[in-house]
Amino acid sequence: MKRSQFLALLAAPAFAFLPGCGKSGDAASAPGGSVEKRLTIAFLPKSKGNRYFSTCEKGARAAAEELKVDFLFDGPTNTDPAKQNEIVENWITLGVDVIAVACENREGISGALKKAQAKGIKVVTFDSDTTPDARSFFVNEATDEGIGHALMDGAAQLCGEEGEFALICATLTAANQNQWRKQIEARLAAKYPKMKLVDSKPCDDQKDKAQQEATNLLSAYPNLKCIMAICSPAVPGAAEAVKQAGKSGAVKIIGLGLPSENRAYVKEGVTQSLILWNVEDLGYLAVQTAYAVANGTLKAGDKTMKAGRLNEVEIDGTSVLLGKPFVFTKDNIDQFQF
Amino acid sequence: MNRYFRELSVTGALVLLLAVLAIWAPHFYQPQPLLSRFTAQTPALILTIGMTLVMIVRQIDISVGAQFGVCAVVAGLISASGAPLIVALAAALAAGAIMGALNGVLIAWMGLPSIVVSLATMVTWAELLRLFQQGKFINLPANVQWFGLSQSAGQQGLIFGSVLLLAGVSWLLKNRSGGRHIYAVGSDAEAARLAGINPKLTTFTVFVIMGTLAGLAAVLNMVQSPQVDPKCGVALELRAIAAAVVGGVAVSGGRGRLWGSFAGLLLLATINPALTFLHVEAYWEKAIQGLVILLAVIADGLRSRRQTS
Repeated sequence: MKRSQFLALLAAPAFAFLPGCGKSGDAASAPGGSVEKRLTIAFLPKSKGNRYFSTCEKGARAAAEELKVDFLFDGPTNTDPAKQNEIVENWITLGVDVIAVACENREGISGALKKAQAKGIKVVTFDSDTTPDARSFFVNEATDEGIGHALMDGAAQLCGEEGEFALICATLTAANQNQWRKQIEARLAAKYPKMKLVDSKPCDDQKDKAQQEATNLLSAYPNLKCIMAICSPAVPGAAEAVKQAGKSGAVKIIGLGLPSENRAYVKEGVTQSLILWNVEDLGYLAVQTAYAVANGTLKAGDKTMKAGRLNEVEIDGTSVLLGKPFVFTKDNIDQFQF
Repeated sequence: MNRYFRELSVTGALVLLLAVLAIWAPHFYQPQPLLSRFTAQTPALILTIGMTLVMIVRQIDISVGAQFGVCAVVAGLISASGAPLIVALAAALAAGAIMGALNGVLIAWMGLPSIVVSLATMVTWAELLRLFQQGKFINLPANVQWFGLSQSAGQQGLIFGSVLLLAGVSWLLKNRSGGRHIYAVGSDAEAARLAGINPKLTTFTVFVIMGTLAGLAAVLNMVQSPQVDPKCGVALELRAIAAAVVGGVAVSGGRGRLWGSFAGLLLLATINPALTFLHVEAYWEKAIQGLVILLAVIADGLRSRRQTS
C-alpha cells in the first residue's frame, strides 16, 4: 500500500496535464483512496494578450498544477468592463467553484460577482479590487507604504544616504501617484535627514516628456545624485536623458517599471534598480487564495495563510498581501519577460 | 513694424525669457543639454509647420497627435523588423499622407467642419492604435538611434534639417503661387475661386501635407531614442496649435507666418525648462502656458476690432 501510494504520487505530476489521468493521481493521493471532486478555478484578467496579465497567468497555472485543480482562463481582448461581466455570467452558468478576477471597473462588476456568490461560487479579487461585499478576499500586490518605502530606501542606498535627488511622476493629481509621493516623503523625513528632494516633475505618463524633464533636472541641479521615476514610462525616459547627458552611473536611476522596457538600460548600468511586485507570484497567490477559500482553509479573520512556494503570507483584514515589492537589478532582470 | 507686430512681440517675449535665464540661471546655456532640449522640439516644430498651413487655410486639424502616434508605431515596427530606416520613413510618410488625405476628402469635398472631422479621426486613430499596440513599447535595433551616427552629429542633423525645412516652406509660402493660394483661400474662399483658384484642391493638399509632415515628425522623434512609446503623440496637436496661435497665426484664417509659429513654439517650449531652472514648482507650468496663449488670443481680438472699427 505504502509503496503503491508512493509510486502514484511520483506519477501524478507527470500525468496532471492529461485529462482523465489527473483524476487517478487525485484519488491515490487522497487519504483512504476516496475520490474527491476536482475544484474548478476560473481566472479572469483585465485583458488577455497583455504581457502583465499573461505573466500573471503563468503563475496562476503553476499554482493550479500544484494544487491539482481545473483551471479556466478567459478575459476581454482589450480592457472592457462589460465583457468581464459577460464572462462571469458564463462561468455562473457553467458552475465553476471559484472565480479569481482583476476588476477593470470596481462597481461595474460587483453585481455579477454578487450573483455568483448567491449561487455558491466563491469570489476573490487580485490586482484591482471590487467592492468588499462582492468578494471574500482581495490579493493585494503592494501597499502604498510598501512601494514608497522600497523606492525611498532603494534611492538612499544608491546615494549613500546623502545628497540631492529629484522625482518624476505621471501627473501631480493622480491618486495612486500622490499616495506614493506622500509615503516617499514621509520615509525621507523619518529616516534620511541628509537627503533632499529638490524637485518633482510630472511627465503626463509619456516617455519623451519624462526624458525632457530629466534633461532639465540634470542641468538645473548639477549635484543631483539620483532620479526616482514613479510611473513606468518615466523610467526609460529618465535613463535616456542620463545616458545622453553622459552621466551614466554618476546619476543613479531607480523607478517603478517593467523589465521589458528597461532591460537595455539596466544592463548598461544606466538604471540601477526597478521596483515592482513579482507579477508571476501575484497570479500564483491569487489561485492559492482562491483554493484556500473554496476548501474552507481560509476564513474571515485569519491573520496569515500558507501559500505553497511563497510560504506564509500576511493578511490584513480581507487583503492577502503579496509582501514586499520585488527589486529587479542587472543580476536578475533576464529572468523576467514582462 | 505694425505688420509684424504679433511675430515681433512673441520674439520679444522669448528674448526676454532667455535674458532672465541668462541672468538668474546661466546653467541653462550649457551646450550639451541645450542641444538635447532643442533636438527634442524638432518633431513638434515639423508639426507646427503643418499646423500653420492648416490654420492659414482657415481649418484646424486636431488629429495630428494621433496621426503622429500611428506613424511612430508603423515606423517603429518596420525598423524593429530590421528593415532600413529609409523604408520605415517611406512607410510613415505614406501612412501620414493617407490619414491626411482622409481628413482632406471629408473636409474639402464633403464640406464638413474640420474640427468635427479631425475630432472623429483623432479618436479613431488613437483607439485603433491602443487596441493594436496595447501600450507596449517597441524596442528598436541599435543602428536606428541618431541614424547610426554619433549623438551630437545626429542632434545637429535633426536641428539643421528641421530648420531648413521651416525656411524652405516659409519661402514657398511667400514666393510661389501655391503658397499664395493658401492665404487666398484662407482669407476668402469664394473670392479665391473667382480668381481662378481651386479652394477644394488647395484645402485637400494642405491636409495631405499636414499628414505627411506628421509622418516625418514621427520618424524624427523615433531616431532620438532606442524605443518607441505608442503614447508619444498624445496631446501633441495642442502644442502645435498653441505654437501657431501664440506665433500670430489667425484662427480665422488667411494670416500668419512660419517664423512667428517658430518663435511661438520656442517660447512655449522654454517655459517648461525655465520653471525647473528658476526653481518654480511644476504646478505652474500649464497655468503659465495657458496665460501666454490667452494673451495671444486677446492680442488677436484687439487687432481685429481695431481693423473693423
